[in-house]
This record gives sequence, structure tokens and C-alpha cells, in this order.
Amino acid sequence: MQFRDQIDFVRQHVKKNRMRVFTTILATTMGCAFLIVLASIAFGLQGTVEKEIMTDDSLTKIEVYEGSKGKINREKIKAIDQVTAVVKKSNIDGNLLIKTNYDKRSTMPETMLIDYKEAEKANIKLSEGSYPTNNNEVIIGYHLNSMMYSKADEKAIENNKEDKKLNVGMSASLLGKKINLIVLTGEKNEKVMTKKMTVVGIKEKPKKEWMMDSSILLSQKFAEELMPAIIKINPETKKEEVFYSSYEVYAKNVEAVKAVNTQLKDMDLSTYTVTEQLDQMNLLFLALKAGLIFVGTIAVLIASIGIFNTMSMAVTERTREIGVMKAIGASPKLIQRLFIMESAYIGLIGTAIAVAISYIISMAANFFIPKIVTFATKEDGFENNDIIFSTIPFELVIIASAISIGVAILSGWRPARKATKTDVIQALRQD
Amino acid sequence: MIKLKNINHTFSIGRKGHEHYVPVLQNINLSVEAGEIVSIVGRSGSGKSTLLNVIAGFLKPKSGRIYLNNKDITDLSETAHADFRLKNVGFIFQNFQLMPGLSAFENIELPLKIRGMGKTARKQTVEKIMLKVGLEKVGDHYPNELSGGQQQRVCIARALVTNPSIILADEPTGSLDSETEQEILALIRSLNEVLDLTFIIITHDEEVANITTSKYRMHDGEMMAVAAHAI
Repeated sequence: MQFRDQIDFVRQHVKKNRMRVFTTILATTMGCAFLIVLASIAFGLQGTVEKEIMTDDSLTKIEVYEGSKGKINREKIKAIDQVTAVVKKSNIDGNLLIKTNYDKRSTMPETMLIDYKEAEKANIKLSEGSYPTNNNEVIIGYHLNSMMYSKADEKAIENNKEDKKLNVGMSASLLGKKINLIVLTGEKNEKVMTKKMTVVGIKEKPKKEWMMDSSILLSQKFAEELMPAIIKINPETKKEEVFYSSYEVYAKNVEAVKAVNTQLKDMDLSTYTVTEQLDQMNLLFLALKAGLIFVGTIAVLIASIGIFNTMSMAVTERTREIGVMKAIGASPKLIQRLFIMESAYIGLIGTAIAVAISYIISMAANFFIPKIVTFATKEDGFENNDIIFSTIPFELVIIASAISIGVAILSGWRPARKATKTDVIQALRQD
Repeated sequence: MIKLKNINHTFSIGRKGHEHYVPVLQNINLSVEAGEIVSIVGRSGSGKSTLLNVIAGFLKPKSGRIYLNNKDITDLSETAHADFRLKNVGFIFQNFQLMPGLSAFENIELPLKIRGMGKTARKQTVEKIMLKVGLEKVGDHYPNELSGGQQQRVCIARALVTNPSIILADEPTGSLDSETEQEILALIRSLNEVLDLTFIIITHDEEVANITTSKYRMHDGEMMAVAAHAI
């Protein structure tokens, strides 16, 4: 029998028992849609977490910390093949206050000391300007100007009890402007040093919408200027007490991260990479996805009982027809194939509808859940965050379809076997 | 053409372990030549339908051999037997055994579909056969829209459509009134004459048996030749 005729044959029989087949397809659809939607939560959350991690950090960056034995040797690290830069980053002790002012406006920026040359090599991009060439030049964060408040701005913020949007801070860019950097002692607000610096570069806008970058990036050489001033006030202060340093090693590309990371670990250094974290996270999500698919498969299996019943009834009802078919020359294999195709047809239609419904549910969930949560919690943050609750990638559609259609075929297999064993003589005796 | 040699068959009766065997076919020998119409008559329970089932391959005899065109077909597998029937045997049933969901045309083309014939070739073949058996106007009708005679014609057309070498008919006029019975018998006779088709007809109706070239009677599982007619 040609394949097209087999399909026609199956469709004719499906049409004959529309209601029964419809309810069976409905059960299959519900089972498969449940499987897809359930698993889509794991895919959605994985995507959200992945995006969160990837926007947070550069993929080629390896954070390096000194281990129990290994000490950081920058030159040795630089010698590793495929390392493009080793950036030293130093935070200033919290007992010192850093203040910036410009044109009667001021703010307290997050301050960090870095190697400009290495940062440039690491391809840490600026949105405007260029890297400093001397100690009197500085790079600032993307939002520093909008955090520079005048006295009137500070008052307006203080009086803004209803959380209204205020038009405060500077709108003009600080690029090329000379700002004052004031270092104060935390306890007595004693002035340690003041330095006039020219803004030559502005960092890139943070990838996360809600992040405000009001930082100042100073040269590592700034430490040498600051230390004498601190020692003048407190002679016993040591450099290690004022600056906390960490190192960032940049690999040539994402593929090189693993090899570089292994060599750093061989130097007894502790490391952290986004890719390593992603690998661990993906493993966790893989387990979650497998678990959810397993739970969803149970729903599909329950639906398969319906297919089994439908097909068993079909075989019983069509015993005479099967007898005639066998009498006029249909082989047992053909009879079996026709019944398996019928159950596969139910599975296929049910799965196709389930996929379409799942996409609708998924889109609806992503649209409505943030709104519902925002309404319930009265907080806007949730709605603005790019949290995706449900994602249905193509691979999930393939997995769910394979499970659903596979289970449908399996549930039709036994009734189909029964059909092949139909006794022609008995069957022809039926009315 | 077809030869049965020492066919014996028994049915078991009773519970398992306490069953006893009833002989239904006893030492049957039959030889049918190409172009013959052979009738096997007998009362209910005489074993004539069992014999037809054995010839068709629906039932395997306890002993004896069946040959078609000198080929032993007794021990063919179920699949091989199905293929053998598809290529060599046509069936005419007492209660027509048509598919209720298929039109007359679709019922007739069913064996060709099973054979895997293409749509165009199928259409041509079926239309030719329908013309031969006088069904050209009712091709779209479903079995429940046809008279008994028309249904039997559909059944005959379905048996003929694969161009078989032998047609097995089980009480072909058993469900028909006497007028329609005459029409169907005339059709069988004309098919035999025109197409040189071989028929084995199982019947309890002496009138049906009278159109045949050879007549055999069955009684308690035994068969004896009765007469030969010149039709």
C-alpha cells in the first residue's frame, strides 16, 4: 500500500469516530502542553540567569585571587599564552571618604585604582573620550554627572517623600571638565588631600538598565600620591591597609578562557570565571530540566491511556474490516502499520496543537506574571526587570514532540498487534 | 490448476485437557482445472466452508497438501499466504463483506490499494471492472445505498479487480432473492466464459450447483464427485 493511501485510510477512520478521537487528541494535547510549559520554566529561568551573568561580566575575564600557596606574579601570568592583559584593581579602604565636586555640585563616587594601560589592552571600552595619559587625568562612570547634586538638589531629594521623579543632577557631560577630588578621613572628616583632575574618558553605560555607574577610575599611581598624605596624619598606616587589590586576567577569546584558567590554577591561584559559573549553572539547570520533563512525561503517559483505549476500541469495532482486509490480501504487517499510524496521527495532531498552545501560554505568562506580581507587591522593579518565566526553545519542542508521539505510538502498538492476530474466519462471521 | 491431496482436519471440542477431536475434513482429494466452475454442495456442518477456508489459507489442515499451479502452498507463512491471496485469489462472500465507510468504487479499488498500485492506474482498472459487472452508475454509492444484488456485484468486482487465477465463492447467492440470484449466476457464468476464470463455489443451493462444470457433495467431512455438467 502506498504511503499516501495509508494516510488516507487512517484519516477516513479518524473521521468516522470524530468525537472519540477528538477527546483522545485533547488528552494528548493537555499532556504534551503540560510537559512543554513545565519544562519551559526551567529554560526561561536558565535564560534569565544566563543573561544576568553575561551582562554582568566579560566572558573573557578571569578573576584571580591569591591561594594558600600561590602568590600573584603578574609577569608570570602575562607570559601565559593567550593572555592579553592582567588588570590590577584596588579599592580604597572604607575609612577614607572620597568626594568629587564641580561647579558647586558634589557627590561621593565609588573609587577604584586600575592600570590604564592594561585596561586598554583588555579592551575595557569607553563610551566617550580616551584613556588618561598622565596622573592628572581621570575616567568617570557613565552616570557620575547625573549624581552630581547641588545643595538645592539635595534638599529636593530630602523633601521628596512621595518618591516622585526629580530633575536633579547634571545633564551636561563632564568630559573635558576639571573636577576636584577630595579625600577625607572617615572619622573627623579631616581633609587628607585635594586634587584637580581632568575627565578624559567616560565609561560605557552599564548593561543592566537599573544600574547606576557613578564611579571614578584612578591610576594605580594615585596610591603613591595618597600614601604620603595619609602617613602625615597617621604615620603608622601601611599601604595594604588602605588599598585592597584584586587581579583580572583577560584571555584572548572565550575559547581560550578554559586553558588560561587551568594554567592559573596550576599556579595555586584561586580563580573565578563567568564561563565556569555558567558551566556549573547549566549543569544545575540540566538536572532541573530533566526533572521537569520527567514530571511532564507522566502527564503524557496518563494521556496515553486514552490512546490505548481508543485504539483498543477501534480494533474491536473493526474486527470484521480487519478480517476482510486480511482475506483480500493485506499482510499482518500492513494491518499493524495502519493502526500504529492511527495512534501516531492522534499523537502528532495532539502534539502540534500542544506546541501552539504552549507558545501562547508561555507568551501570556511572560506578559501577565510580572504585571500580576507588580500589582500584588506594588513594586515597579519586578516589571522593569527582564525576567523571563518561560522560554520554549526549538530543542524543547523536539524533545516534547518525540516523547509525546513516541508514547502515542507505543500505546497504539499493543492494540495494533492484537489487530494482526485477528482470526479471519471469526472476523468474517461478525455482522 | 488447484489440487488438494488427502486433506484432513479436525476441530477440538471441550475444555482444555478434556477436549476431544471431531473430524471435519476426511481425506479430501480435489483437482480443479483452469476455467472450470466447481461447486461443492452440502448441508450445514458438512465441512464445505472449512474446506474453502483451508483452500484460502485461513486454516491450516492437520494433514494433506494443497497445490496451486503445481506450487505447494500448504505451509506458507501468514504473510506469504496474504501475498498469495492478493495475487491469485478473489473472494465472493455470502454477506458481501463490504467496507461500510467506503463507496462502491473505493471498495472495489481496496485490493489494488493494498497492492500499492498508483491512483491513475487504479481508476482505470476499477472503471473497467465496474463496466463489466454493470456498476458504472453507482460508483459513488455507499453499501447501505445499494441493493443486495448491487452489493454482491461490488463484491464480485472487488474479487476480479486484481485479475486472480481463481475465485472462491462462499454461498454467493445466499443473501439474495431468486430474481437477483439468477442475475448473479448469469454474471458468474459470463465471467467464466469471457475471462476464462476459475470458480470454486460453496453452496447448499442445488440451483447454484447446476451452473457448474463439476459438482461435489460433502457429507460429514467426506467429499464425493456428483456429476459434471456441460454449461
